[in-house]
Amino acid sequence: MERGRDILALVAPGLVWAVHFVLIYALISAACAQRALIGMGTVWIAGLILTVLGVVLALWPLRLSNAESVRRALLWSSGIFAAAIVADGAFVLLFQTCGG
Amino acid sequence: MAVTDPETRTPYGGARKGEPGKTFDEIWQQPRGLRYWSAVSHQAVGKRFIVTGFCFFLIAGVLALLVRTQLIVPGNTFLDSETYNQVFTMHGTLMMFLFAIPILGGFAVYLIPMMLGARDLIFPRLGAFGYWCYLFGGIILMSSFLFDAAPDGGWFMYTPLSSNEYSPGAGPDFWLIGITFAEIASVATAVELIAAILCARAPGMSLTKMPIFAWYILIFAFMIAVGFPPLIIGSILLEAQRLLGLPFYDAALGGDPLLWQHLFWLFGHPEVYIIFLPAAGMVATMLPTFVGKPLFGYGFVVAAVISMGFISFGLWAHHMFATGLPILSLTLFSAASTMVAVPTGVQIFSFIATLAEARPRLTVPMHFILGFLFIFVLGGLTGVMLASVPFNLQAHDSYFVVAHLHYVLIGGMVFPLFGAFYYWAPLFTGRMMSEVLGRWVFWLMFTGFNLTFLLMHLTGMRGMPRRIATYPEGIGWDRLNLLSTLGSYILAAGVLLFVVDFIRHRRVGPHAGRNPWGAATLEWLYPLPNPNFNFHAIPAVRSREPLWDQPELTDRRAERIDGVLRGTADSRRETISCDPITGEPIQIARLPHPTWTPFFAALGLAVAFGALLASFYWISLAGLCFSVLVFLLWAWEPSDAGVLRPDGMGRTLPVDLADRRSHTHVVVVGLLLVLFALHASLIFGGLYLWNVVPDFAELTVRPLGLPLILAAGAALAMAVAGTVARRWALSERIGASGAMSGLTALLAAGTTAALGWAILPVSPFDTALGAVIWATVTFVAVLSAAAVLWGLFNLARDLTGATRPGQARHAFNLATYAKGLAAMALATAGLLLAFALTGGA
Repeated sequence: MERGRDILALVAPGLVWAVHFVLIYALISAACAQRALIGMGTVWIAGLILTVLGVVLALWPLRLSNAESVRRALLWSSGIFAAAIVADGAFVLLFQTCGG
Repeated sequence: MAVTDPETRTPYGGARKGEPGKTFDEIWQQPRGLRYWSAVSHQAVGKRFIVTGFCFFLIAGVLALLVRTQLIVPGNTFLDSETYNQVFTMHGTLMMFLFAIPILGGFAVYLIPMMLGARDLIFPRLGAFGYWCYLFGGIILMSSFLFDAAPDGGWFMYTPLSSNEYSPGAGPDFWLIGITFAEIASVATAVELIAAILCARAPGMSLTKMPIFAWYILIFAFMIAVGFPPLIIGSILLEAQRLLGLPFYDAALGGDPLLWQHLFWLFGHPEVYIIFLPAAGMVATMLPTFVGKPLFGYGFVVAAVISMGFISFGLWAHHMFATGLPILSLTLFSAASTMVAVPTGVQIFSFIATLAEARPRLTVPMHFILGFLFIFVLGGLTGVMLASVPFNLQAHDSYFVVAHLHYVLIGGMVFPLFGAFYYWAPLFTGRMMSEVLGRWVFWLMFTGFNLTFLLMHLTGMRGMPRRIATYPEGIGWDRLNLLSTLGSYILAAGVLLFVVDFIRHRRVGPHAGRNPWGAATLEWLYPLPNPNFNFHAIPAVRSREPLWDQPELTDRRAERIDGVLRGTADSRRETISCDPITGEPIQIARLPHPTWTPFFAALGLAVAFGALLASFYWISLAGLCFSVLVFLLWAWEPSDAGVLRPDGMGRTLPVDLADRRSHTHVVVVGLLLVLFALHASLIFGGLYLWNVVPDFAELTVRPLGLPLILAAGAALAMAVAGTVARRWALSERIGASGAMSGLTALLAAGTTAALGWAILPVSPFDTALGAVIWATVTFVAVLSAAAVLWGLFNLARDLTGATRPGQARHAFNLATYAKGLAAMALATAGLLLAFALTGGA
């Protein structure tokens, strides 16, 4: 029978993705809106750190749960969200300016 | 076993709201005549949602036919431009707000307790309240036709078109007030469904043994709880701009029309998935029945549904690709838009793999499932095309987008819904709908749909923009529009035939008997139609397909199946409540009997909202006060908590437990989730304007620092006081707990007073940021007012002897609410303090 930790492990990659998405969006907004709080160099470095950290954290729940009943769902959940984090972060790393 | 009352030394009855002398069947009987409308059981409320939602679907369908008739030939004068704008606006509004979500919610309300092994939803009155809000909101919106003031600004009500300057009539007000009211229904239903799924399942039904439909509905409900608040906030701000002149979206005073678009699409895009998920859940439930095998990859699908629930919130700006956002932002949303195809694909492949497991029975619901797969996959593919920024810019606001969204919404929702009607109709009526007429319905709808919308891709590629009332002849749109209109008539004929079949089957349809489709889930346990109480005894569940894998459920008459809570101990409606994760019973939940309180609470709000439209503010205030009074009466009722009862399977369980896992606590957490989302929407608005319009941010007068520090201190103290009140209530120090609840109320008032003091120098009329600051503090003030009421309510109960030993739920839940409120007050004070410290005007 699954425990609370197993269900948390299932949802945790989604929460990590959500936090990563919000932070990347905040970085872009801070750099590209009229106030221009930060430069693209900061966006690049912070984006890289956030994306690597996000992928690690999205895959981390795989170590949290061994419950057979949630194993398959957990693998897919972690995989999908890790891929989504890479996709969200990749453009920040590939673009040199707010205009592309 | 009864707990002894320490004052009277007599055992509690534990049934102070019971109906002694009535049999189990009589206690669960639906009231008749006029009193039927006081019924709050999930069967009554679910049917009301479904019937009302379908009526709105028919109205919106007629409006769609008017649109298509206008476009049948170039230069048509069937509708003038103004009427055309009203018709397409109301078509989209009714379909999205008053049909799709409510009818799916209705199916969930009706089916979830039966599937999960509960006698009713865990908060029946909340569901009934939601229904009345929905109905009254819909009536308010529809009444705009009577006043010749139907909204005409599109279902998205963009500013500045919807501002007083460009829409001086009452059309946008009808839209904003009616829709906001109806959204209360969706949020209430969502919170109820979350609590019901997590807290009221059959013994042994852990989360991973839940029917897949329950997973879909759980994520659907969470998405509503998080996704609807941005639009609720956006609508309230827009209405405040129209009524009071607060410049939230006024560019001349530092507002930004794009803020409305952000808030709208923060709701609007997840809305698409909110609509898709329950319908996909219906497919995932029906498909295994007709294939005769379990759903392929239950775990894959659960992961995909959770993933979709999250990622769909990262797509909102893909409706804003043409608004001039930075390209870097567009790429982020483009990536998320593309990524959401992955969990969608996982689900579709799971359905296809299930189909491949055995030869399916080609029943009418199966036809609709196949139609869903065909149409939705095409819609999904054009969705991936539109996720690409360059293509999106080309296709923006063209009929290509109209075709795409109808493929997704009709394919992804309407086809499964019609399949669901054919599949679950026996539950509602005890009779089967016609297989012959059903096939006609399917083929008419399928043919008509594709003729209408497949061609629209071409119309869009040929450059026809959306929302134009007519077009010149000879530019390649004539024949395509003619065929699309003919297709829409065929589609409508299919819907009409369905209505005929549904009415017909109630009289002459063959009796369904028990489990007519050979399904695996618990709603088919009894001969149809189901009894009002769903289960004589709630059976233990060991499998995801209990009717296939547990022979003891099918080898005897349904009323003789073993289970918990056979009969009733205290002449009360009750069901078993479980641990949210494991599904093991932890308490007996007492359920309300028929009552008018939800109706009157919603009626008071309807008066408040309706009077607002007519600018009768005193009547509006009176309606609001009446509603609050009804809520207090609703909450004041005697509690059954504090006694133990046998569950009929050798255990003794508490009644209405005060615990983190209990349904009342879960619903408070669900409510806080909604409130956090509302608060976050306001914070987003403030940060957005501060960042995007810095000149006006600098012109905004700063709040006072000291009161903000005091507000933070009061908020922290409030959380501590609430927690102490909970602890003392649990240790049965009732008087002391009441006093501490009173202190919690006092500190909540203090928090608001300090925040209000802090923003006194800020004018809400001078800049948009100032207006958002006032809106945020007002929001915290409203929540604090609720905490004040709650704290004083607890104090009054404790002082008047209405609380007895073992009855700690009011104080227990207030503590959680106080912590959540304190978090929002702290965040508000912290951000305002940071703003105050940056200097400025």
